[in-house]
Amino acid sequence: MDIVITDLDPRFKHEVAKEEGGERVKYCFQCGTCTSGCPVSEIDSKYNPRCIIRMVILGMREQVLRSDFIWLCSTCYTCYERCPQDVRITEVMNALKNMAVREGYIHPAFRAQAELIGSHGRLYEIDEFTEEKREELGLARLSGDIAEVAEIFKITGLAELLSEASQEPVRTASA
Amino acid sequence: MAVKYAIFLGCTVPVRAMSYEVSARKVAGGLGIELVDIPEFSCCGYPVKSVHQDTTLLMAARNLSLAEERGLDITTLCSACTSVLTEAARRLSSDGELLGKVNEQLKKLGRKYSGRTRVKHFARVIYEDVGLDKVRESVKRDISSLRIASHYGCHYLKPSEIYDRFDDPEVPASLDALVEAAGAVPVDYVTKKECCGGAILGVDENIALSMTKQKLDDISKRGADAINLVCPFCNIMYGANQRKVQSKYGVKYDLPILYYPQVLGLAMGMEPEELALNMNPIKPKSLLAKLG
Amino acid sequence: MGVAHGEVKAEAPHMGGINEAGCGRGPRIGVYVCHCGLNIAATVDVARVRDAVAGLPGVVVARDNKYTCSEVGQKTIADDIKNLNLDRVVIASCSPRLHERTFRELMARSGLNPFLLEMANIREQCSWVHGHDREAATRKAVALTRAAIARAALLEPLERNVGSVTKSAMVIGGGVAGISAALYLANMGVKTYLVEREPSIGGHMAMLDKTFPTLDCSLCILSPKMVEVRENSNIELLSYTEVRKVEGQVGSFKVELLRKPRYIDEAKCVACGLCAEKCPSKAPDEFNRGYSERKAIYIPFPQAIPASYVIDPNYCRYFTRGGKCRVCEKICERGAVDFSQREEIVTLDVGAIVIATGFEPYDASRKTQYGYGRFPNVITSLDFERIICADGPTHGKLKRPSDWEIPRRIAFIQCVGSRDEHETDGAGKYCSRVCCMITAKQAFMVKEKYPDAEVYVYHTDMRTAGKGFEEFYQRGRSEGIVFVRGKPGEIVENPEDHSLRVVAEDADSGCILDLTFDMVVLAIGLRPPGGLVELAQKLNVSRSADGFLLEGHPKLRPAETSIEGIYLAGCAQFPKDIPDSVAQAGCAAAAAAGVLASDRIEMDPLNPVVDEELCIGCRLCEKLCPYGGIKVEKTDKGFKARVIELACKGCGVCGAACSARAIKMRHYSDEQIYAQTAALLEVG
Repeated sequence: MDIVITDLDPRFKHEVAKEEGGERVKYCFQCGTCTSGCPVSEIDSKYNPRCIIRMVILGMREQVLRSDFIWLCSTCYTCYERCPQDVRITEVMNALKNMAVREGYIHPAFRAQAELIGSHGRLYEIDEFTEEKREELGLARLSGDIAEVAEIFKITGLAELLSEASQEPVRTASA
Repeated sequence: MAVKYAIFLGCTVPVRAMSYEVSARKVAGGLGIELVDIPEFSCCGYPVKSVHQDTTLLMAARNLSLAEERGLDITTLCSACTSVLTEAARRLSSDGELLGKVNEQLKKLGRKYSGRTRVKHFARVIYEDVGLDKVRESVKRDISSLRIASHYGCHYLKPSEIYDRFDDPEVPASLDALVEAAGAVPVDYVTKKECCGGAILGVDENIALSMTKQKLDDISKRGADAINLVCPFCNIMYGANQRKVQSKYGVKYDLPILYYPQVLGLAMGMEPEELALNMNPIKPKSLLAKLG
Repeated sequence: MGVAHGEVKAEAPHMGGINEAGCGRGPRIGVYVCHCGLNIAATVDVARVRDAVAGLPGVVVARDNKYTCSEVGQKTIADDIKNLNLDRVVIASCSPRLHERTFRELMARSGLNPFLLEMANIREQCSWVHGHDREAATRKAVALTRAAIARAALLEPLERNVGSVTKSAMVIGGGVAGISAALYLANMGVKTYLVEREPSIGGHMAMLDKTFPTLDCSLCILSPKMVEVRENSNIELLSYTEVRKVEGQVGSFKVELLRKPRYIDEAKCVACGLCAEKCPSKAPDEFNRGYSERKAIYIPFPQAIPASYVIDPNYCRYFTRGGKCRVCEKICERGAVDFSQREEIVTLDVGAIVIATGFEPYDASRKTQYGYGRFPNVITSLDFERIICADGPTHGKLKRPSDWEIPRRIAFIQCVGSRDEHETDGAGKYCSRVCCMITAKQAFMVKEKYPDAEVYVYHTDMRTAGKGFEEFYQRGRSEGIVFVRGKPGEIVENPEDHSLRVVAEDADSGCILDLTFDMVVLAIGLRPPGGLVELAQKLNVSRSADGFLLEGHPKLRPAETSIEGIYLAGCAQFPKDIPDSVAQAGCAAAAAAGVLASDRIEMDPLNPVVDEELCIGCRLCEKLCPYGGIKVEKTDKGFKARVIELACKGCGVCGAACSARAIKMRHYSDEQIYAQTAALLEVG
């Protein structure tokens, strides 16, 4: 892929560095420690944390934020522990995903989870079957939905974000 | 020594990992750990961190404030809950400005938080607060015939800085020590530190299941009788999805998955039913047969 | 010259900057605010600073200059002193560390006491650190200058102390830097004491097999120097000796050393080795990094200087079994064994000191992901030197520790404990400068011994800047060494055959390399040696954030310290290679010899003065002084504090603590500091 200078957004790296978790992205010196120990890269190299950070530093804003690969981080923190420049890569990926959401790209699996939590305060709606099963095991009943979480979604603006239309990230072929 | 915590169940444990909850409560009773339930606890906030970090922080802060109101620290069963709550607790206790900002939001819920709650995974509570010596003293049944491979998972240990590096994520030892203290034989294996893949199951099932398979291959090759877990998320991969891995890749493991409280409960002389072993997705029949 | 005079605001407000009003009999101060080209002027509004202070009490003239230190700038000041009868000068410019001496000399030439100068640092403390905020930087510059004027008004003339010069030097540390410094000094005719804490000189260089990029045998080039140390009549070698205490100042340091007992009479021992042959106790051989054993009575290595055995009391049966054994004593025909030796205090008088304390290799076991200490075939670059050396555990055959078989596939991993933000000490955060070339050399040596060996070097950047270095790196590539730009996350050992799996991303091809090796060498960085903190305290020299010692100036005084008469050579200052260490040793020796060449030395009179009328003899000062520089003694007026000039370093602790206000710091009196602080805190 040829890149010409007008394709690049030189502000992107600064933007990421201002996002919570992205603060140290500019320190990356491309040693590849992250990718070498990444359990996801090991299986499918379309996820390559070193490359993603390189793209951030080069300013490939669109290609990064609309991609599906930023959603592939398994948040195992292996790279985070080892990165010699303490780039805190796992948190950089979080920052990028958060930015992508605001740009209108959200992975459907994460949208679904967020919506469930927004409505029930938990990942699962508690049904009667679950309550009966718990009772059988001598466990206390759960108290149904935690309504305050919906309130939290409103306070932080996530409810509004989720109400807007969004696109699925662009699929990258497996490498 | 009075060990008392608010127990944070999170989303998955009370619905999809009841055996974990049952056995943890049982073992806590036996070890003298008092667990207090707070019904208003919600999801920790971890699942929305990728989407909206401010929401995660506020959810975590609300949960922390609920424990603080009662003057309790939190113990968790799920490792993802541990990491999100610990991270929030640490940030809020060290960053006054952030705490102020979060309190402005909490005020709208009629709550406040002053940064006092501490968070500890239940396994770490046993490891540190109870201690290996007391664990050894509590053993009533000989389970030395069991070879058990521990899966540490990611968030139980990492990022290590938020856990004061209580265990080295590069050479983890705490779960093996707990297995050994219970009287079973810890099994070492090469892929010990690898991730289960659970966090991306919804994004790319192929990658996630491949990650699960790698470890199952390695552990079963080492001749373990069971995998020892401390996270319900990991159990979704190794327990609930083990059949899926088997059929997808044409392999066979039938490897029982136990939560640590189940391992310890057996050693403490509890009956398999008391520990809800029958609810585990891979029936631990062979394992129980070994115990006689 | 057209530089500065155009900038002198002769027609500026306040009558060409001259303010005769309100300067009756008080001090007459000239204030000079420097632009330093654009270094200051780009950020600080220099004219505003000048105007803000021009009307202050005592200020007769306030000017701004483009370059105050220039010929023109200095002449302006000299002329003002003469024409306006100035008696004090305030210069707002760079750090006094750079130009205090320049301006003090100017004052002396102009007939003023040089201690009536005060400087405000509006460059390092203003423009350079607040470059983004002109307004705030300017306000701070005004405040600092105002404070300097307030202090200047209260300065008192002082006479310099004059000291004699002891014509000898001490070099601390007997590695290649210390050896070189001692030889340079001795050859200039200076009596030199070379102090080494280990039983032999030689340092880390003695442990190396070869040196880059010439592949000289390390000891072949070092041991002639070591012999020269022994033979040179101007050098007195004190091995197995540590520095206990240093007092005094440039020209007359008083040093207390602790000589550890060797339990061998150095003069009698001829290093025949009979004793070690018969000695029944074994110990790990630290010179071979623990990969072989030595006896409890041993010589560190065959070329050791002094060529004398030493007894290790931790392993010797005489010490561990209560006076039994004594086999060595019986066998030694020359009667050199002497169990009655005890620690001994030696005192020296020297005029100058060179610190050449070297480095300590990084403890690779801290990087647990690489398994050093857990996996036998993971070794460090220093271990490699011993394992490949003819005098090493395998007598020059490169073998791997798990089974002492010859490795066929070898990996090197760079930057272990270097360029690493997780390292808590500063020296771990940067490039240790020598490791790339050490690895290039070692990889080449592998190829030289075993041309069929597969050698991979995992690096972040290969840094080969130096004479002959690039050519050497090129030669390594032509030999078939594979350089991989990519740092492995971990090493996984196969417990059955102890082979090592290394996974890395090869950034150049974009491939994940999943390779298995027989042996992995970790290129470890250089760290400040143990004991350097304490030594720096004893000598009162400053350390940098990385823990090594701070040079006098990073560019222009690289071999000096913050203390006059104390100099630096080699890795004591910063990681560096052998030629740079030797060069710096020469520089330190020249600087030290310069001081020793003069007969008298002038020193700033910064010692405190005790007012015996006020002193109540409470001993607080004595207890607090970190240098033993003030003692309470019985006089005919009762118990009174007395300053020990030789030991006092002028730190001011006693003056600050004295509850009777009997101790006055010269040049830093309470009045001066209060006035300075009050002016600083004025809102403006």
